[in-house]
Amino acid sequence: MSAPNKPSSTASAEEPALRPHTYDGISEYDARLPNWWLFTLYGAVAFSIVYWMFYHTTGMGLKDEQVLAQKMEAVAEARLASSMGSLTDAQLWEMSRDPKFVTAGKTVFATNCVACHLASLKGKEENPAAVGPSLVDNVWIHGAKPTDLRRTVTNGVIEKGMPTWAPLLGDRKVVEVVAYVLSFHKEPASP
Amino acid sequence: MPGQKVTIEFNDRIVRQFMIASIFWGAVGMLVGVIVAAQLGWWGMNGKFLEYITFGLIKSEGVSFLTFGRLRPLHTNAVIFAFVGNMMFAGIYHSTQRLVKARLASDFLSNLHFWGWQLIIVAAAITLPAGLTRSKEYAELIWPINIAVAVIWVVFAINFFWTLAIRREKSLYVAIWFYIATIITVAMLYIVNHLSIPTSLLHSYPVFGGVQDALVQWWYGHNAVAFFLTTPILGIMYYYMPKAADRPVYSYRLSVVHFWSLVFLYIWAGPHHLLHTALPEWLQSLGMLFSLMLWAPSWGGMLNGLLTLRGAWDKLRTDPVLKFLAAGVTFYGMATFEGPLLSIKSVNSLSHYTDWTIGHVHGGALGWNALMAAGMFYWLTPRLWNTKLYSINAANMHFWLSLVGIMMYMGSMWIAGPTQGLMLGATAEGGTILKYPNFVETLLEIRPMMWARLLGGLLFLAGWIILAWNIWMTVRRGQAVNGVMEVHEEAHDQKEVTLKQSFINAPFLYSAGIIVLTLIWAFSPHTISLLALLMLALVCIMSFVHLQVSGKTWGQWYDQLLCSWFPFTILVFLAVAVGGVVQIVPLVTVDRDQVVEDRLQVPYTPLELAGRDIYVREGCYNCHSQMIRPFVGEVLRYGEYSRLGESIYDHPYQWGSKRTGPDIARVGGKYNHAWHYRHMENPRSTSADSNMPNYPWLLEAKTDSAALPSKIRVQRILGVPYPEMSDEQIAALFDEQAKKIAAELAAPGSDIFVEPDREIVALIAYLQQLGKSQPYTPGAATAAAAKP
Repeated sequence: MSAPNKPSSTASAEEPALRPHTYDGISEYDARLPNWWLFTLYGAVAFSIVYWMFYHTTGMGLKDEQVLAQKMEAVAEARLASSMGSLTDAQLWEMSRDPKFVTAGKTVFATNCVACHLASLKGKEENPAAVGPSLVDNVWIHGAKPTDLRRTVTNGVIEKGMPTWAPLLGDRKVVEVVAYVLSFHKEPASP
Repeated sequence: MPGQKVTIEFNDRIVRQFMIASIFWGAVGMLVGVIVAAQLGWWGMNGKFLEYITFGLIKSEGVSFLTFGRLRPLHTNAVIFAFVGNMMFAGIYHSTQRLVKARLASDFLSNLHFWGWQLIIVAAAITLPAGLTRSKEYAELIWPINIAVAVIWVVFAINFFWTLAIRREKSLYVAIWFYIATIITVAMLYIVNHLSIPTSLLHSYPVFGGVQDALVQWWYGHNAVAFFLTTPILGIMYYYMPKAADRPVYSYRLSVVHFWSLVFLYIWAGPHHLLHTALPEWLQSLGMLFSLMLWAPSWGGMLNGLLTLRGAWDKLRTDPVLKFLAAGVTFYGMATFEGPLLSIKSVNSLSHYTDWTIGHVHGGALGWNALMAAGMFYWLTPRLWNTKLYSINAANMHFWLSLVGIMMYMGSMWIAGPTQGLMLGATAEGGTILKYPNFVETLLEIRPMMWARLLGGLLFLAGWIILAWNIWMTVRRGQAVNGVMEVHEEAHDQKEVTLKQSFINAPFLYSAGIIVLTLIWAFSPHTISLLALLMLALVCIMSFVHLQVSGKTWGQWYDQLLCSWFPFTILVFLAVAVGGVVQIVPLVTVDRDQVVEDRLQVPYTPLELAGRDIYVREGCYNCHSQMIRPFVGEVLRYGEYSRLGESIYDHPYQWGSKRTGPDIARVGGKYNHAWHYRHMENPRSTSADSNMPNYPWLLEAKTDSAALPSKIRVQRILGVPYPEMSDEQIAALFDEQAKKIAAELAAPGSDIFVEPDREIVALIAYLQQLGKSQPYTPGAATAAAAKP
């Protein structure tokens, strides 16, 4: 049997020689390893040695938890600085009349609250299968004052299915969504 | 003296059988892929769609055996083991007989291998949709099937090595090296990762738990990719590429270097699937660094494939076989570049848990495996049926459909993954809150990409059906023939090496020395470490100088080694075993109480354990992780990062690898029971626009509480600190907790009335305790057990 895949006669003179042995007609050159390929391999090995020393031998590199702790400290500071502080009932009522807050609150409501309270805010009143109660009637289960509402949204009422929103929404959005809900209600006449 | 002339008739029947099986299962695997892709786009594809396509004749809120969590394992297993498995067997059996000039050793073993493997596939196709699963990715099959797989694999190994033993071609070609590595390594990986203790005929718990289970799983999972989807196909490339191109292989030297570096390095890279998790950081670093070092050896294979085409590139225009093979090898190069990239910790912090990974594996599975399979099949069919390919045009059509399909698939995932990853991590207001607090927002953003992916998959499937048709038409007009070869029976003058010679020689001793010194350097205290580093440098220089001086002798030794299949196989085994030993042994032999950080998991109550097994059965881990990484975005969204001790008693672990839904490591107590009840009944009632399927059967089906005593007995054997409990005590604990939850569900004002023995109750019990661990103090394990 003739080996069918011998190089053609046009091959350049620099073509490396074929190895003597063939397998089922397959022959092999013995070309040098390309330099760039070798550098890639050596480079990766060298990098690995340095990386390992940086993180594991010398302990210079920070662990994941240490990096996180630093970042969370910064978050805590920023939180203190941007806190909405203690708003009074009157201030919250005032915000609920301010289209700036109400529009912002509507967006927050649409993304996070409609699943349980429905877009109409009517919740169970409109559809008994809904998880949340109506927010537009005058029944308030966990306190009727605006500050009560803010507390309910902030801390949640886990037993009733209301999640704790503060860590997800942050103080500002909680206040905005409270303003939005309040915008459907009348401020009670002052005593 | 010329020996006797003999004519060998090859066993090509088995090749034809495996090839046809591969084409068939390939189509099935891809079809299931298209279905699960559609389910990600639209939740109703798990049952509701039946209502639409039968015009309301069939009413369904969801069908258990059609849900994503059960079908996704079917898709992955079908593609890996049924499609690529059968393709690999066809290629190995066909090329090996010719490369070693011998008919397969035993027709009986060949047939047993074929029918045994098909039976296993059928068993998998029944058990996975039925929810019988071990829940470890690509290792989901239940224990009786595991045993069958191991047995059939041994049959394959015996048949293969027996053929090598009776070979007439003494020297082993590079393709055979890769086949040997495949057989040895897959056996090792499969057996270790499937060690489990049965609790019944259909159920078992893996012997490893928590972080150990995660490490063993990805040592296996990653190397299933390496030694089931890569090395056999590289071997196949080394045979069919030079055959189809009619050109010599580019570089034998490169074959040697890239083979040994590939098999040695690959096995270490598993932990790159667990970056930034609770896995100890030294293991994470090993996973990342070995992945980076693997880049060059992988590209060695690509170079040898593509550069073999030098002088034959013009044939790509006319020959569909070469088109497929060249594109396949190119995708191999792309995937093996992307892999190391994704293994870099900072890149992985964005890509992990997202569709980017999904895009990456499909670059490998569609681009490398399926295109190589198609190239090989188009080359084989005319030869195995002694005719011409029915239609070159159809093959070209198939090629372009595949290419466009892959690009759509990978392209959409490249967009979807980073988009969702960035959105999930984005913060606002000075970094104090999440910019997109609702997970569903990020899902809606990438939904168009999910549909693009589906379209890509459909195009690819269409191409595959064209292949099936084309091959069918070719077979119809041809006649099955077995290849024959005339060889001279000659006395062999090549020397074989003995086992001793394979160890006592310069190349082996240098390699062993370098590995041992590297380990001493990496894991020893300062002075010894420094000393080892110096010696390492010395040995490296020595070996380099020695190579320059006696490279020829080393080459002769290697030539001799190639004539000795047994010593060669032993050396391969040693090369692949080192990585696993160094990574796994320290972690599984250490006392579990010693590695937990500051928290320890509380063992599950009987009801919670039953609920957990339902969670496993439904394949929830396919979409929900239970592993919060130490990033600001994750801590804000899910709570504190997960500690190693919090899942230490989980057999199997449930960290997950993909987040189609949010992480639920700390979901316990976040919502009330009713929320979970509604959510499982119809996820959209609690999370608008969720793409999670409905699980209506959980509200009806009864929990299998009878299995609990046996399950808890096995958990005790595995070291989970349960107190000794009688069957009655277990039943009493179960009833008490179930009744309490059912009563809470039926609280005043609620319209939920559910019997305590329903699966939903057990599942809620499980979900509500997620994230409830105890601070760790010595001896706490026993105190935990006292809790009912």
